[in-house]
Parts: sequence; structure tokens; C-alpha cells
Amino acid sequence: MKALRYTAFYACLALIGAVFVTPYLLALFGAFKSQADLFASSPWSPPHSFYTGNFRTILFSDDFLRYLGNTALVTAVLTAGQVCFGVTAAYAFARLEFPGRDALFALYLATLMVPNVVTLVPLYTMMRQFHLTNTYWAIVLPFVLGSPYTIFLMRQYFRSLPSEVFAAARVDGCSEWRILTRILIPMGKPIIITATIIAFVFGWNNFLWPLIVTDSTSMQVLTVSTAALQSSFSDQWNLVLAASLVSLVPLLLFFITFQKHIVRSVQLSGVNR
Amino acid sequence: LATAAPFILPSLIGVLVFLVVPVVIVLVLSFYQWNFLSPPHFTGFANFATMTRNYHVFHALETTAFYVLWNIPVQTVIALGLAVLLNRAMPAMGFFRALYVLPYMATPVAMAVVWGWVFNSQYGLINQLLSGVGVHGPDWLGSTTTALPVVAMVNTWQYAGYNMLFFLAGMQTIPPGLYEAAAIDGASAFRRFTSITLPLLSPTLLFVLVTDVIGSFQVFDTVYVMTQGGPGTSTTVINYQIYSTAFRNFDVGSASAISLLLFGVILVVTFVQFRIFRNRTTYEVS
Repeated sequence: MKALRYTAFYACLALIGAVFVTPYLLALFGAFKSQADLFASSPWSPPHSFYTGNFRTILFSDDFLRYLGNTALVTAVLTAGQVCFGVTAAYAFARLEFPGRDALFALYLATLMVPNVVTLVPLYTMMRQFHLTNTYWAIVLPFVLGSPYTIFLMRQYFRSLPSEVFAAARVDGCSEWRILTRILIPMGKPIIITATIIAFVFGWNNFLWPLIVTDSTSMQVLTVSTAALQSSFSDQWNLVLAASLVSLVPLLLFFITFQKHIVRSVQLSGVNR
Repeated sequence: LATAAPFILPSLIGVLVFLVVPVVIVLVLSFYQWNFLSPPHFTGFANFATMTRNYHVFHALETTAFYVLWNIPVQTVIALGLAVLLNRAMPAMGFFRALYVLPYMATPVAMAVVWGWVFNSQYGLINQLLSGVGVHGPDWLGSTTTALPVVAMVNTWQYAGYNMLFFLAGMQTIPPGLYEAAAIDGASAFRRFTSITLPLLSPTLLFVLVTDVIGSFQVFDTVYVMTQGGPGTSTTVINYQIYSTAFRNFDVGSASAISLLLFGVILVVTFVQFRIFRNRTTYEVS
């Protein structure tokens, strides 16, 4: 009886897991079938032979290799900027005394309530004004200097670190930069990883802003070109699915590699509130 | 101040130039008529006046509200259920936890494409399965009754596991002694859930609801890819309406006014949620 309940429990968990995995599998199956094969076979049947023609078309004729490069570049710059400038700002808010600190921090918090779409038109206007539309600058500039959300998360964490360590370092004559690099960063590693993951996923998945601010194909990121491909080749599901895999697979690998950190970091971002 | 300045300055410039200034600009633009090209033309409250008479704006708000209602309750209940399932000391719980969080990382644009395939009326998984049992499935994304729930379901699929993590973290802070005491008093498992777990999870529940509702009010990517706001205007949510007003009709003033309306609606809804939760009974456990 007990063994039966045990099996039923795990069968139930596996069934739920299948719901979460199925779309990935269907995309994988479809992306490796030719169009004729795709429409002739069931969506849930694996491809007979791994047909790579879709990927060859997408990556080379449709220039997805370039879009992949654009996305990677933009995401890397955005993540590096958000984390570096975020760590320094969070450190100052958490551990330094300076006039106006609390008022400034309140300002950062207030900006958390502004929906993205509110700043969309003004940001676009600004980018046009400075002739930056259709450049890498335009895609990253609004986000690269730090995100108030991750600054808030890191500040909460840094404040919870034992203050004696910082006091001792100051007594020993450590400069603030040394304290930052030698003490804060090693001790704050979990939350810095959290901030990195949040920035990376945001950068990789960002769609609406690059959609608005770029209009030439050479500047397109993966999300924008996938949407464009889907609307112009809506019946060529084999190509469209292959294109979507190009954006999904890197994040999937990222997830599998850093799975433990990601699960913990999501929880850190909730508990700190 | 001199020591703090270099630490703060980059992010401060970012916050001022790319968040504070834009909010000011959007306020100003909402009083102008402008198409990005010709000189802006001051029109006072005209944009707001036309907005209140604009059927499309209210239809979009209504659609957004339905989207939120299709999405949030289901998503929250599933997330709670998954957390209850996985909140036990048994083998492989970590594996299933990771498996359920997996969709959180998926690029919404790419996943919307894949779900479009799953719900394709002719070749999609759902209708192929239905035809296997002799049912002729509907054109899910081509019908005004089913398109919005399907788009909402994609969001539920993506974030249910992610929210489960917050509930799991919350459940793990509940002292096990409470459950033991309740079990001794003869409380059923369901009673223990409603009388111990739920009340003690209410801070987590508030956090999850507030962030999800704010996010849901701003849905865009899945709508853009799966339905382009259609069929008709059945999935034209408010964010999509703002996008097309600004970047397809080039009516910058109206788009600014509508985005301020959305800002207001989100603030009110968030405030209401905080009020509801403040009035709930919570236990002090120490």
C-alpha cells in the first residue's frame, strides 16, 4: 500500500514535469524536421533523421548568427554594467554615511513603481534626439548604469552582513575600494550572483525596447528577429521553431549549469523583500 | 560624500536620466499633440479628454483585467499546490523543483512562438490529440473567445514554478511544531493548510500577488507574437494599445496619456492589495 502511494506520488510529479517540458520537446522535434515531414508527422513524434536544413537556413541565409551575436554582446555589456555599478551603489547605500543617502535611496525605490511602458516613448524620443537610434548604445544605455531593483536587493543583503568586519577593516586603514573588493564582494557573493542572473535573463529576453529602438536588420537582437520571422513565414513552422530554439537553448544551458544558484537566487530575491 | 560619490554616481545618472527624466517628459508630452516629426503642439487636457471618450482605451483596460483574472488566480493556486507537493523530505525533490522552475528562464518571445505551434488549429499538439479522440478542436488563437485565455495560460505555464519557489521558501520558515500540535489536536491535513500554512504565508502571498499583478498588467511579448492583439481587438491589452498608439499611429500625446492611466491603475490595484492584506488576521510566531 505504501509503495503504491509512493509510486503514485512520483508519477504525479513526473506528469506535472511533463507539462513544463513538453513545449521544449515539441520545439526540438519540429526544428529538426523538414517542412514536408513536419506536416506529415505527429507533433509529438521525434524526427526520423536529424534534418539540419532549418538551422542552416536560419543561421546563414537569415543571418541569425549575427542576431545571436548582437544578443550576446548586448546581454554581456548590460549584465556587466548592471552588476558593477549596482554593487558599488548598493555598497554605498548599505555601508557608507553621506548626506542625502536615505532620500536618494527613497528615490531609487520610487522608480520601482514606474511601469516600463511609461518610460518607453520618452526614452525613444531621447535616443532620437541624440541620434542614437539603431545603435548598440540605444539598446543598452537605459539599463547599463544599474537597475534600482537589483540595487535594492543587494543593499538589503549587504546591510545584513556583520558590521564588525567592516569596522575592523576601516580601523586597519583599508580604503573603501579595498573593503569592497576584498570583503564585500566575497561575502556578498550569493546576492551578487542573484543580480547577475536577473540582469542576464532580462538582457537576453528583452524585446519591446530593442523592437522600438532598432529598425535595421543588422542591429536586430534574437527576440526581434524571431518575432519578425514568425510574422513573415507564419506557415513555415520548421524554420520558426528552429529560430525560437536559437534563443531558448543558450538559456536552457545556462539554467542547467547554474540550476542550484538560480533556484537559491530566486528565493533570495523574495525573502529579502 | 567624496568617498561615496564614485560609488553612487553611475547608477544615479542612470536613475535620473533614464527613469526620472522620462517620467517628467511623459507628463509633459501628455499635454501635447505630436507625431515624433513635426513640432509638438500644446493641446492642454485634450489627450485626456479624448482618452475618456475613446472606446479602444477602455476596451484595452477591460481586456487587460480579464487577462489578469485568467492568469493570476490559476497561477497562484497552481504555485501553492506545487509548493505543497514538494515541501517534504523525500528523494528527488530538488530535481522536480528545478524542473518546474525551468520555464521561468524561457525567452517569452520564443516560447510564444512555440505555444503558437502547440495551439495551431491544424497541426498543433492540442488539436491533434483532440482529433485522436474524435473531437474537432477550435481555432484557439483565431477565435475571440479562446485567444485571451490561451495567451494567459502561456504566462501561467511560465511563472507557476517560479512562484512556487517563493511559497516553498515561505513554507520552510513555518515552525514544524505548529503542525505537530495541530495534528495532535486532530486537525485534518486540509485544516492544517487553511489554518496554519495559508495565514503564515500571507506575507509571501502578498509579495507574489503584487509583483505578478504588476507584471501581468504590462504583458506585451506573448500578445505581440501570438495574436498581434487580435482576432479583432480581443487580445489588445493596454500595453499593446500604448505601443500601437505611439509607434504605429504616431500619436505620442495620446500614448503618453494612456501610459499615465496605466500607471495610475497599477498604483491603485497595488494599494488595494496591500489594504486587503493589512486587514487579514496574521499570527505572530516567535
